[in-house]
Amino acid sequence: MRKLVDAYHRLLNIALVASVAVLIVPVGLQIFSRYTALIPSYIWTEEMARFFFIWMIMIGAMVGIREGTHFDVDLWPELKPRANALLRIVGNVFVLVFALVFLWYGIKFVEFGWHQSSELAELPMPFIFLAWPLAGLTWLVFLGERFLLDLRTLTGQPAA
Amino acid sequence: MSGAAALSPALAALILFGVFFTLMFLRVPVAFALGLACLPVMFIEPRLSPMILFNETFKSYNSFILLAVPFFLLTANLMNVGGITDRLVRLSRDLVGHLPGGLAQVNVVLSIFFAGISGSSTADAASQGKIFIEAQVKEGYDLSFSVAITAVSAVLAVIIPPSILMIVWGGTLSVSIGALFLAGILPGLLLGFVQMATVHVYAKLRNYPKYPRSTLREVFAALAVSVPALMTPVIIIGGKIFGWFTATESAAIAVLYAGTLSIFVYRELKGPGLHSALLDTGKLAAVALFCVGTASAFGWLLAYYQIPKALLAGVGSWGMGVTATGFFIAFCFLVVGCFLDAIPAIIIVGTILEPLARAVHMDPVHFAMIGIISLAFGLVTPPYGLCLMISCAIAKVRLMVVLKDVMIMLLPMLGVLALTIVFPEIILALPRLISPEFLK
Repeated sequence: MRKLVDAYHRLLNIALVASVAVLIVPVGLQIFSRYTALIPSYIWTEEMARFFFIWMIMIGAMVGIREGTHFDVDLWPELKPRANALLRIVGNVFVLVFALVFLWYGIKFVEFGWHQSSELAELPMPFIFLAWPLAGLTWLVFLGERFLLDLRTLTGQPAA
Repeated sequence: MSGAAALSPALAALILFGVFFTLMFLRVPVAFALGLACLPVMFIEPRLSPMILFNETFKSYNSFILLAVPFFLLTANLMNVGGITDRLVRLSRDLVGHLPGGLAQVNVVLSIFFAGISGSSTADAASQGKIFIEAQVKEGYDLSFSVAITAVSAVLAVIIPPSILMIVWGGTLSVSIGALFLAGILPGLLLGFVQMATVHVYAKLRNYPKYPRSTLREVFAALAVSVPALMTPVIIIGGKIFGWFTATESAAIAVLYAGTLSIFVYRELKGPGLHSALLDTGKLAAVALFCVGTASAFGWLLAYYQIPKALLAGVGSWGMGVTATGFFIAFCFLVVGCFLDAIPAIIIVGTILEPLARAVHMDPVHFAMIGIISLAFGLVTPPYGLCLMISCAIAKVRLMVVLKDVMIMLLPMLGVLALTIVFPEIILALPRLISPEFLK
């Protein structure tokens, strides 16, 4: 199970690297085409850039939950490992609620956009909206793993 | 619009802010706390539904302007792996290494150079934390001083153009980004100068070491090597001002230029370095921007209930002039900056305060710079100061340890902020001189 989550995490990382790398292409084309006659000035470059951008944000936000990199505000004194685990469980219950909302309403969001396509490149919008429920689902997986780890710390079992 | 709403503005505000602060206290990540705070209101109010959360996040991510954020982060990361930063360190050392507290002075001067190329303070703090903190401690500087000066000097990156905050501010509040770029130069250099003075006093009191003075020849050699890198700000700012490209495109140009230098001129960019630069960029940009989406939803609800108007109803009757309003605005942003990242703060609070600035005929560029400088200081004020958190994480110390030194260094910087409020010319002189058409 652990390995499966690890593999999924790696896959997301690869997708993230790819999305950042391709972002530069449409914007570069846009500038290039304005000042030279070598390539036509494509109308869809800006839209393309925005779509990769949306996926980059959502994938990064998914990975951030597993890596604990979403920024929080720590107003607590230095806590013992068990107290820390308890606090994290409480906090993550709320993140879980958010993940469920993203999954449930995210599916509706995709259905809502089912027959829409983008204005310029005519990409089907569900390809974009899909990022939201997928984020919800991914958070559920990563949070589940986190809960198990924290529960182990809380009950004093060694991390397996 | 709010006339037929089920919730009164006061009650809606209580729920929104109440839930947000409670969750933040429970250490729920800020991005999620903002989103979760929207939910109860969206369920209670019959006319609203959680779909608004999706519309608002989609709308804010579907923005060409915010694309500048990953580009500036990527520029910074490419500079680090591609050898540009190393050249600039060398140059800074030859320029100021012989002053008391040499390495710490280099730290500040490098931040000024870095600020002119990248527009991201967090990237500055992350890269310079790795370069300087350990090296400074080894040379006998106190750990808390080293962490503090690294974090505090990183702040310059969003004040000296180009700057992510200026692009976001210009985009959300419709101010000329070119004018903001020009406006940031003088206050940024002033702040850098004040920081160097602070380092000087520390170094004298604590007897910090200095390097032997470099020969003029060495200075020129370092300068010659760095010239291509130092051209970046000229290209970016010039291109923006002369209208060759948009703000986002100028950030993309910065990426392409830094990449070209790293590959063809300094020849240090390799596959693994590129991979880690891209991955780090994606991760940091995504968590920062995800928060922008939920903050926009939060801000949308505030506007729906006209809460900003209610909050400021009393303030308008105080009869403040431009200067007093400036101080009030700075105070608001300084407080908000303690709890919120700068970009969501601009979206939520910038729009709240804008009518106030307009009422006293404050120049929009002046208003913007007061806000941006104050929010930049928020990057090192706890509990939520990203640059400080990053520097502490690199040095593996708790935030409380370095707090005193950070506060000492902030005092003269607050003095500079006060100066820019009292004398708007510090901000407005350059834009007026170079491109008066950008000002109203």
